[in-house]
Amino acid sequence: MSGVGFLEKRLQLLARILEEKNLHEIEVSFWGLRFRMAKEKKGDGLSASMSVPAAPLAATPVSMPVAASSHEGASADESKHPGVVPSPMVGVVYLAPEPGAEPFVSEGDKVEKGQPLMIVEAMKTMNMISAPRSGTLLRLLVENGQAIEYGEPLLIIE
Amino acid sequence: MFEKILIANRGEIALRIQRTCREMGIATVAVHSVDDSEAMHVRLADESVCVGGGGGGYMDVGAIIEAGRLSGAGAVHPGYGFLSENARFARLVGECGMVFIGPGPEQLEVMGDKAAARRAAVDMGLQVVPGSGGVVGDVEEAIAAGERAGWPVMVKAAAGGGGRGMRVAEGPGDVGRALEVASNEARAAFGDGSVYVEKYLARPRHIEIQVIGDGAGGCVHLFERDCSVQRRHQKLMEETPSPALVAGEAERMAERVAAALGGMGYAGAGTVEFLYEDGEFYFIEMNTRLQVEHGVSEMACGVDIVREQIRVAAGEGLSLEQGEIERRGHVLECRINAERWESGGKFLPSCGEIVRYHAPGGTGVRVDSALYGGWVVRPFYDGMLAKVMTLGEEERRSGESAAERRVRARAGCLARMRRALGEMVVEGVDTGIGLCSRLLEAETLRRGEAHVHWLEGYLARGMEEAGEGAEA
Repeated sequence: MSGVGFLEKRLQLLARILEEKNLHEIEVSFWGLRFRMAKEKKGDGLSASMSVPAAPLAATPVSMPVAASSHEGASADESKHPGVVPSPMVGVVYLAPEPGAEPFVSEGDKVEKGQPLMIVEAMKTMNMISAPRSGTLLRLLVENGQAIEYGEPLLIIE
Repeated sequence: MFEKILIANRGEIALRIQRTCREMGIATVAVHSVDDSEAMHVRLADESVCVGGGGGGYMDVGAIIEAGRLSGAGAVHPGYGFLSENARFARLVGECGMVFIGPGPEQLEVMGDKAAARRAAVDMGLQVVPGSGGVVGDVEEAIAAGERAGWPVMVKAAAGGGGRGMRVAEGPGDVGRALEVASNEARAAFGDGSVYVEKYLARPRHIEIQVIGDGAGGCVHLFERDCSVQRRHQKLMEETPSPALVAGEAERMAERVAAALGGMGYAGAGTVEFLYEDGEFYFIEMNTRLQVEHGVSEMACGVDIVREQIRVAAGEGLSLEQGEIERRGHVLECRINAERWESGGKFLPSCGEIVRYHAPGGTGVRVDSALYGGWVVRPFYDGMLAKVMTLGEEERRSGESAAERRVRARAGCLARMRRALGEMVVEGVDTGIGLCSRLLEAETLRRGEAHVHWLEGYLARGMEEAGEGAEA
């Protein structure tokens, strides 16, 4: 799985199409995921977003599986924290936009609602996990490259 | 052989597949919804991955495949229901470098399409219920279809279901009236008045043949199962051998089916379902997967069907030949559902926490269940709590015919089932244990004469047998 490279290539392709065709906004969707890139009104910066259908992101009460092999780190107490952001899908976590790059966020950061927090790769698709609300990033509960399951606590925003 | 298998299912069937995996030294990965994180199939698995909330996770193709890849599973066993007959899922499992334990996507597609399955059956030399084969335009067409099929015939709504838009025509003179009434009813109920004509079977039995193909032309059968005790097309009891068939009748059909499916290169477990009446088998459909009632054949023949499925998927072929497979006696299964039975034959699902659970045991009893005290039965999934199976051994006695021996084995099997159900305790939800126990006392069932319409009629009559000559 050459995860981040895939996202980069897609973003570059979208940006090129946007420029060449002189479009303001471009949106593609596949596998139930929506990918949107738009030119900002002021200046000529580009912004990209990728979203999953709304439902899975809604915070559901998370109960930890009994025999899961794939997760470590999150202690039972932290997983029950009211500020937990659960994973909307099964996949692999990437904390930075590409290998070697600065992570999207670090513990202690102030985050704005909608701000990118991490990427979850599922079925060869990169899914941006955005902050569901504004606040302070209290704890990161997953590591780069870690496999995660549905509902697994990713981080705590207070 | 695979080192690790992901089981894309829940409940008793996930547990049943796990058991065979463990015996074969294969590690298991369970998938589950958020609500099922305490379920037995998760507790007993080597690993587990939560794939969704509510009831949808078990249908989430992407999440399940991702769970398989991340956990390093070499194969995916779909169980029954959910994604077990989903050709797209089977294809994607293969494209993602894992093996789908079941037939190929093409075979799933053919048998999953009603019309294509009927054509395939006819190609195999099987007959379907004769009739018009499509919508009839007028009375003349309906009469012609009736003449071909043989009287009486049933005029049925094409959009139908639930017994509405159906009328029997005893002969050509009744067709006009039957067509009019059925068509009007169908229009009122389904918004579509089109009807077709089919030979009317008054007292059909549901007979099915269990096969396992090796994918390379070989295919064995495990004889038949009789699943005639059903209501609203839901099977309640299944047994083998069928008390309706004479010696050799099932074997001949089973051999034909196995030969035909072997010729197709069929891989894995499958069941071909028939309606049977007056010595004729009429193809209904084929299920390209493990079936709920597969344990009946396993217990009777001493064969682990899941083990054979896994062997075939791993390219190791079947572990046995047809000549080595024989039935050791009579097996009956009762499905114990979480439901409340009300007089008049109405059933209401029952949910809640299981306060106490005790499974029956002893010689000749098998219980497949994922139940435990403290488990909560939820409304999203089907309400089957347990499958109780009992074996009645065939013993040789001098001066006894084979038919007499079979009758005695069946009586022993039923007696053992009554004993087993008497031991079973499930508290916290209403269950069908009492209903099954009472049905075992019914004269029609004891004599092995229940046809597919019997149970509904019997319950509607408040558990009274129909009068002499008033069959069904």
